[in-house]
Amino acid sequence: MTSTEIYFDDVDLGDEVGPVERIVTDDQVIEFTQVWGRETGPTRFTSREKAQSEGLPEAIVPGAMNIAIMSQLITGWSPTVKLKKLDVVFRSPVLHNRPLTLKGMITDKDIIDDDPTIECDITMENEEGTPHVIGKATVSLPTRE
Amino acid sequence: MTTEESEIKFDRSLLGVENDIGQYPVTKEMIVKFANSTGEQNPLYFDDETGDKSQHGSIIAPPTFCNMFVSGVTRPDIKLEFGDVSLFAGQAIESLSPVKPGDTLHAKTKLKDVYAKTGRSGRMVFQVWETSFANQDGDTVALVQESFVKRNRRPR
Repeated sequence: MTSTEIYFDDVDLGDEVGPVERIVTDDQVIEFTQVWGRETGPTRFTSREKAQSEGLPEAIVPGAMNIAIMSQLITGWSPTVKLKKLDVVFRSPVLHNRPLTLKGMITDKDIIDDDPTIECDITMENEEGTPHVIGKATVSLPTRE
Repeated sequence: MTTEESEIKFDRSLLGVENDIGQYPVTKEMIVKFANSTGEQNPLYFDDETGDKSQHGSIIAPPTFCNMFVSGVTRPDIKLEFGDVSLFAGQAIESLSPVKPGDTLHAKTKLKDVYAKTGRSGRMVFQVWETSFANQDGDTVALVQESFVKRNRRPR
């Protein structure tokens, strides 16, 4: 997490957020599914065999976990950030233990109902630059005044 | 409503009707495990000292925490008479108020919209469900919107 405080005044259209490199391990997925509490026995998220029986190449990362990781690109950007909304589309399954790159770009900036708000396009890509998850974050940032 | 939308056949009586999907007690252990498993770096989501000094007076859950409860929810069958392939299209999460250890979240889901689009692969029908989470004080803490698309299988 960065300790740099970013304010609405500092941000401009086209500014980049990240990139941040991540790898989701088998152990992290197992821990996540335990908190989740809905999965019993081997699933497409924890078992390669089960995933392959469902036509997937390997065990995949749960969508709820991908979204949580996507949100960290924004919440880790600055302690001043408040993530208001995250809107995502899943393009392809995310596999365990693979390098992932998360990055974003500011696409809009406005004061909405007295709330300084920015919009940021975000992506989670694999090593080849193919997007797994794309989306838009709506973020509140304080002004310097 | 457009002519195309009025032609979609499904159980319209379900539109806007809230369905209880359960109560979810939130523990500190759940929040910390959620943070750990997703590689969270912000100590506000797992470190007591940071949480105690914050404006919230304790650690809070990361902003997408409620989304975890939505996966696997059973919803009413809207009896959509279209398509034979169903896909998950996308999701939007709105974080409205902090979720803290000790909260009990009450979740309700409703069919928000059903609409058609025609793309390169032909006609598709989208159904949009919105799930709201309220805490024990009745404050809505999060809204999760999910879109599912149905289309016809492509001829081989």
